[in-house]
Amino acid sequence: MRCKTPGGQDGRGRWAPWRMLAIAMGLCLSVTLWLVPQPSAIARTLSARATDIQPYLDRVDDQITEFTLDNGIRFIVMERHQAPVVSFMIHFNVGAAEEEDGKTGAAHYLEHLAFKGTSLVGTSDYEAERPLLDQLDELFDQILAARAAGDMDEETRLQAEFDAVQAEAATYVNQNEFGRIVEEAGGVGLNATTSADATRYFYSLPANKLELWMSLESERFLDPVFREFYEEKDVILEERRMRTDNSPVGKMIEAFLETSFPDYIYGRPVIGYEDDLRNMTRDDIYDFYTTHYTPRRMTVTMVGDVNPREVQRLARIYFSRYPDRPNAPDVVAELAPQTEPRDVTLYLNSEPWYLEGYHRPDLNHPDHSVYTVINGILTRGRTSRLYKSLVQDGRIALDMGAADGFPGDRFPNLVLFYGLTAPGHTVDEIKTAMHQEFDRLRTEPVTAEELDRVKTQSLASLVRSLASNQGMASLLASYQAKTGSWRNLFSELEAINQVTAEDVMRVSQVMFRPDNVTTGRILPLAEQEET
Amino acid sequence: MQRLKRWQWIKTAPQQWRASLQRKLIRYGLVMGLTMVVLVLGFGRSPALADTPRHYTELEFAPLPEIQVPNYTRVELDNGMKVFLLEDHELPLVSGTAIFGTGDRLEPADQVGLADMTGEVMRSGGTINHPADELNQILEQDAASIETGIGGASGSASFGALTKDAGEVLQLFAEVVRQPAFPQEKIDLAKSQREGGIARRNDDPNSILGREFGKLIYGEESPYARTLEYSTLDNIAREDMVAFYDRYIQPNNMMLGIVGDFDTREMRSLIEETFGDWQATQPAPTVELPPVEQAQVGGLFVVDQPQLTQSSIRIGHLGGQLNDPNYASLSVMNEVMNGLGGRLVNEVRSRQGLAYVVYAFWSARYDYPGIFVAGGQTRSEATVPFIQAVKAEIETLRTGSITDEELNRAQDSVLNSFVFSFERPSQILSRVMNYEYYGYPEDFIFQYQQAIADTTTEDVLNAARTYLDPSKLVTLVVGNVAEIDPPLSSLGMESTPIDVTIPPRG
Repeated sequence: MRCKTPGGQDGRGRWAPWRMLAIAMGLCLSVTLWLVPQPSAIARTLSARATDIQPYLDRVDDQITEFTLDNGIRFIVMERHQAPVVSFMIHFNVGAAEEEDGKTGAAHYLEHLAFKGTSLVGTSDYEAERPLLDQLDELFDQILAARAAGDMDEETRLQAEFDAVQAEAATYVNQNEFGRIVEEAGGVGLNATTSADATRYFYSLPANKLELWMSLESERFLDPVFREFYEEKDVILEERRMRTDNSPVGKMIEAFLETSFPDYIYGRPVIGYEDDLRNMTRDDIYDFYTTHYTPRRMTVTMVGDVNPREVQRLARIYFSRYPDRPNAPDVVAELAPQTEPRDVTLYLNSEPWYLEGYHRPDLNHPDHSVYTVINGILTRGRTSRLYKSLVQDGRIALDMGAADGFPGDRFPNLVLFYGLTAPGHTVDEIKTAMHQEFDRLRTEPVTAEELDRVKTQSLASLVRSLASNQGMASLLASYQAKTGSWRNLFSELEAINQVTAEDVMRVSQVMFRPDNVTTGRILPLAEQEET
Repeated sequence: MQRLKRWQWIKTAPQQWRASLQRKLIRYGLVMGLTMVVLVLGFGRSPALADTPRHYTELEFAPLPEIQVPNYTRVELDNGMKVFLLEDHELPLVSGTAIFGTGDRLEPADQVGLADMTGEVMRSGGTINHPADELNQILEQDAASIETGIGGASGSASFGALTKDAGEVLQLFAEVVRQPAFPQEKIDLAKSQREGGIARRNDDPNSILGREFGKLIYGEESPYARTLEYSTLDNIAREDMVAFYDRYIQPNNMMLGIVGDFDTREMRSLIEETFGDWQATQPAPTVELPPVEQAQVGGLFVVDQPQLTQSSIRIGHLGGQLNDPNYASLSVMNEVMNGLGGRLVNEVRSRQGLAYVVYAFWSARYDYPGIFVAGGQTRSEATVPFIQAVKAEIETLRTGSITDEELNRAQDSVLNSFVFSFERPSQILSRVMNYEYYGYPEDFIFQYQQAIADTTTEDVLNAARTYLDPSKLVTLVVGNVAEIDPPLSSLGMESTPIDVTIPPRG
C-alpha cells in the first residue's frame, strides 16, 4: 500500500501529534514484529524528462540478475557496490487475505513465531523441549473445552498444570537467539511485517556475511519450531491493544474496513480479532505455515555489494532443500457490488477525523496508473488540490492525506482520503470540500501542468528509491510477487507517462460515485452525550 | 537513538570503495571461473567452496575491507558561512542541508512556539521574489523540495533536486534562507494548525506520556520540556518572528553541506554566487545554554484515562551527554538491555508476555543532559508487575554483573555494524557537520569505536552503579487507574495525579 501525507519530506510534524498516530498505527496497515524505541512555473516536456534520467533507469537492467530454483523460489539480485553492505528481503506472497474466518491474525502470529528459532537455534535441548511443547498444546485444548463447558474448577486446575509445564519448557529456551545471531553479526534493521497481502522478513548485513544469511534464513523456514507460543500470544494481544483498542484511529480503521468490505478478505484486521487470537492454537499456525509458505510463493531479493554468481551458487546449496510442492489454491476474492453509500461513526476520546474511501480495482488492472495519477493530483505536495482546498486555502482541515491500495492491492481495494478538522470546523465541511474536488475531477479535464507534475514526481521518486538498498529490496520483491515481474516497477512509470486528462476524467467518473463510497467519522464523546 | 550508527541516514555511498571492490570482484570472478571449469570437467569440487549447507556455527567470514571515509571539501566564505561538499555521482541527484546555530531552547518562555513557527513560515511563506504559491509550483513541477525548521538545539534548511534542476533550486534555496517574506496569512495558518495540535494533544496516550514525562524530568518551565499553549501562541506576532529570524539566520551562524552529482569547483562558485554577497548584520550569537537539573526526584505520577485498556509507562531520570568519558560503557549497557535478545525483551516480553514494547536506555545528547529512560506498554491489570519487572532489570544491572558473553555480544553488535555508519555519503557529511556544530572532535565516531572495543564487564558495572540511581527514578503511568490491579499503591509509593486538562484560551 502507498501511504501518503502531503509533505512527505517536509519539516512539519513536531506540533502534529497525530502524525505518528496516523502513519504508524492505523493508516499504513501492516504490523511489525517490533518497534525500535527511541524517536515562475516551468512546464517541462515529457521528452526532456525522459532523456535526462533514462540512462540511470536503463542501468538498473545491468545491475539486476534473476534466477529461479527448481523448487520455484525466485531470487532477484541487484548489485550496488557503493558500500560493503547488503539488504535482504524474503517476501511471501501470503498475508491476512489467506486466513480463514475465525482464524484472523494467523499470518501475523506466524510472523512473530518465525523469530523463535528451529530445532537447533533457540533451544538448549530440543529433544527434551519437544514433548513439553506438545503437552502444552494438549492442556490448552483441554482448557478451552473446560471453559466452553463452564467448568471453572477444572479450568483452574488445568491452568495450574499448564503454568507448571510452561515454566519447565521455558528452561530450555535460548530466548531470541535468532535475533541475537543477526545483531551480533552486525545485522541492522531486523524486522518483519505482515499486511493483508504479504509477509516480509528483512534485515541488512555487512557484505562478508552473505553465507550467514543463506544459512540462517534457509533453516528458518525449513525447520521452524513455534516455541513460546502462548507467551507470544500475550505479546500480540498487547500489540493489538496498542495499535487498535487504545488508538482512536486504529479503532476507526478496523470499523471502516468492516463497513467497506463486508464478507471480504480485506474487511478483517490484519492483527486479528481478540477472540480469534485467544483461541488460536499452535496447530492453526502450523496449518497456515504448511499450506501457504510454499516455495512458489517465496521471492527473495538482495541489494548491495554481492556477486550474483556467488549468490546463485549459495542459493542452490541452501535453498534447494525446500521440496517443491503446489501452492494452495488462490484466494477467491469476491466483493459483492456496492449499491448504496456506507458509513460508520465512532464517538471516541478524540478530536474529529473524517475518512472517505472509494473502491478501486487491483494493482494489475489496466487503469492502475490512472488511479496513481488521480491520487497524485489530489494529495501529493503543497500544490495538490485537496491540500490547497482543505488545508492551505480553505483552512478547514489541519492536515489531510490519502492511502491508495488500502489495505492491500493484490485484490480490489480502496483509495482512502482523510482529514483532521481545524479548530472551529466540522467533518461536514471537510466532506463538502472533498466532494467539490471529486466533482471537478469528474467534470473538468485536469491541466497539463498537473499531469506533468505528477509524472515528474513519479520519475524522481523512483530515481530516489534507487539510492536505498533496503528500499529497492522491498520494491523489487513486491513487484515481482504481486505483478509477476520486478520490471513492472519501471514499466509502471511508462504507464503513468501515458495517462491523459481524458483517462483521469473517465476513471474519476467510475470511482467518485455516491454508491461507491464509505464514510467514516470519529467524533468526540462529548458530542454523543449532547445528541 | 541508542547508537552512533543510527544517528543519520540519508543518501548513497563513497566511491573510493568502488575500486577496491571491483578488484575484489575480479578476484571472486576468477575464483568462480576456475571452479566452474573444474565442475564442468567433472573433477569434483573445490574444498574452498563446499557445496553442502552448513549451520551458521560452522561458517567463517572474510574480513570486511577497511572503512574508507570519502574526502569532502570544506571551505569558509568571507561572510563566515561554512560549506561542506561531497561528490557522489551514482544518481542524478543533488541534496543539501544547512544547520543554523539556534533552537527553541533560546525562545522566550512566554513565547513557546516562536522558533518552531519561524522555522516553518520561512519556507511556507515564500520569499520576497517568489510568493509561496509560486515557489511551491516551481519546486513541485521539478519534483524538487526545500524545507526549513527549527528544533530544540538547532535550525535546519534542506533541499533536494534532480541534477538538471540543482542550480535553479539552489537559487531558490538561497532566497528562502536569505529573504523569507513571512506573510501574515501564512503566520495565521501556522498558528491555527498549532492550536489544532494543542486541542489534539491528549488524543493519544503516548503523546501524553512523552510530554508529561519530559516535564517531570526537566521541569515544566524548562526549555527542554515546556509546552506550547494557546497563551504562548497569542504572544507571538510577525515582528517577533522576523526578529528571531534576524538574530539567528545569519551567514556567520550557518553551515551548508551539499552531497550529490556535481563538480566541486562548479558548486563552490555557485555557492559564492548565491551566498557570497550576504553580509551578517550582527556578530554570531553566543549562546548561553539553559541550566539543567532534575525537577522531580523520584516519585510515582499518574494520568488517569478511563477509556484505556493498556497503560503506557515511562521510568527514568536525568542522563548525560554523548561526550561523557563513560559513554561507551553506557552504550554497551544499552546493548545488553535492548534489542531482540536484550535482557528486557527476553524477560519482560518473550518470557513474561507483559509487553509488545519494552526498553531501557541511556539516551545521551550532544550538549545537554539527556534522559535514562525505560518503559513500554502493558494491559491495565499488569501495570504493577510490568513496573516491577523493569525496575528489577535496572537493579540487576547495578548489583549483578554482565557476563563475558553479553559483553562480547554487545561489542560485536556495535563493531560489526559500524560499517552501516558509512553506507551513504550524506550520512558521513551530516555527521561531520554535527560534530563541528557541537564542538566534537572530527574523529569522535572512531574514538567511540575504540572505546567500545576497550570496554570491560567491570566498566559496564561501574557505569551502571555510577550513572543509574534508583532513588531518582521517576515513574509515570498513563492509564485507566480503576483497572490497574494490583493497584499502584502496592508499589509502596504515593501516586500523584497529573491533570492534563488543556488550559483554555485566556
